[in-house]
Amino acid sequence: MAGKKYHLAFTPELVNEPITFTLAREHDVVVNILRAEVTEHGGTLIMDIAGDDAKIDAAVAFLRSKGIDVRGLERTVVRDLDRCTDCSMCVSVCPVKAYRLDRGTWEVQLDRHRCIACGLCVDACPAAALRMDDVGPRA
Amino acid sequence: MRTYEEINSRIESGDAVVMTAEEVKAFAAEHGVEKVEREVDVVTTGTFGAMCSSGAFVNFGHSEPPIKMAKVWLNDVPSYAGLAAVDAYIGATELSESAPCGYGGAHVIEDLVGGKAVHLRASAAGTDCYPRKDIDTYISLRTVNQAYLYNPRNAYQNYAVATNSSDRVLYTYMGKLLPHNGNATFSSAGQLSPLLNDPQLLTIGMGTKIFLGGGIGYVSWEGTQYKTNVPVRNGLPVGAARTLAVMGDLRGMSPEYVRGLYFTGYGCSLGLGIGIPIPILNGEIAKAVSVTEDQIFAQVLDYSVQSRARKPIREVSYQELRSGTIDIGGKEVRTSSLSSYRKALKIAKELKEWIEKGQFDLVRPAGEFPAERSQKALEVLSCEEA
Repeated sequence: MAGKKYHLAFTPELVNEPITFTLAREHDVVVNILRAEVTEHGGTLIMDIAGDDAKIDAAVAFLRSKGIDVRGLERTVVRDLDRCTDCSMCVSVCPVKAYRLDRGTWEVQLDRHRCIACGLCVDACPAAALRMDDVGPRA
Repeated sequence: MRTYEEINSRIESGDAVVMTAEEVKAFAAEHGVEKVEREVDVVTTGTFGAMCSSGAFVNFGHSEPPIKMAKVWLNDVPSYAGLAAVDAYIGATELSESAPCGYGGAHVIEDLVGGKAVHLRASAAGTDCYPRKDIDTYISLRTVNQAYLYNPRNAYQNYAVATNSSDRVLYTYMGKLLPHNGNATFSSAGQLSPLLNDPQLLTIGMGTKIFLGGGIGYVSWEGTQYKTNVPVRNGLPVGAARTLAVMGDLRGMSPEYVRGLYFTGYGCSLGLGIGIPIPILNGEIAKAVSVTEDQIFAQVLDYSVQSRARKPIREVSYQELRSGTIDIGGKEVRTSSLSSYRKALKIAKELKEWIEKGQFDLVRPAGEFPAERSQKALEVLSCEEA
């Protein structure tokens, strides 16, 4: 179940808040953590939140009320179809199976809804056909 | 039974029956190998993948006053100039001195084929007959004399499947290998691959005319590291075996089939398209081209073992590799092909079209390649031992 992707930035004092638990229990949304990182400056989470639109909005409002910086994630991988040779190197390195090799046309296909913008495919592409777009997290 | 002459006269009259390697396998499955022998004249094969041992000779023409170039750079990529005066060899894997991550000799070759201007710098000691000591100019395929690929080792007859049992990511010429056997990569075009459709090289030898990079080329010699002493299954080697040295004019080639590649952590390679026509001279060849991917196997090697003597983990069929996952020690491991099956198929189809239109005839090899050859290793020896 794919929902909307968000980039969350925490201050160090918020790192211990059980926010995913609260989101699931109090706001009835399905939370899938795609990436998590904690440093001395705080933490970042990339999560997928699925559910009714109204519930997702309420969940995001709750996160913001806790002082968490929440941005919708628009980052995605951009494919240069002129460079791509359809070799399929990207297919097996993608952690969320966003790439698929079509067994009829033998073309590589990217499902943008699955992509979590982790970037693991970018340095795997020998044809230099992949890059992260520079939109970045939006407010 | 049919001869080269009979096939060429049928090509000339537009009557030749030509099938791609994919088509002939389906035809054989439905009608049998005997019917392939009786009815098919030519089978076209194709492969498009990283072929590192590639490069191009370029003759720049003489400057005024003349120079005997000792050091040459093309778009800042060093090129070998230990040849007379204004000849140089640009190797595919040589890296740019100014932008080593992402650009190298293979990209220079792609740029030349694509009609782009390339920056030439050269220096020299200066001699009485070649007084000039440096030059800085631009060249393109319009300005140079000869410019041809001469690739010492291409079109490998099968190759390993790579995986990585270590706990860190490996960046290799077999691509990005995830830890704990997180993925597996392979490079052969499998059932479309030229040398897997004529495993004994009964029709492929010195002088064979081929599709090379979108243009016409020739097999010029046995490829380096050509070997025959590898394990065989269903009459086919399960590892890297025979190879070809090929050559062809850059003019007439297309960037669609001549591509600079860059493998992070390894370096540059040339993505190259090769297609070889196989004349169905007899039943043995008809049987060879009818082989399918469930019968073609490759060895899975652990690239975290940094040795030339890696022991295969298992053998796996191309049918299994092509399914998207293979089993390694009970784990379902996702696969990636490093060669493009789509482009390989396109090459086989394009070559078929050329032959059907009478634009491409078949050439009987002027020389055969060895039926037996083993590969030597490099040992550290004393002068007397060598």
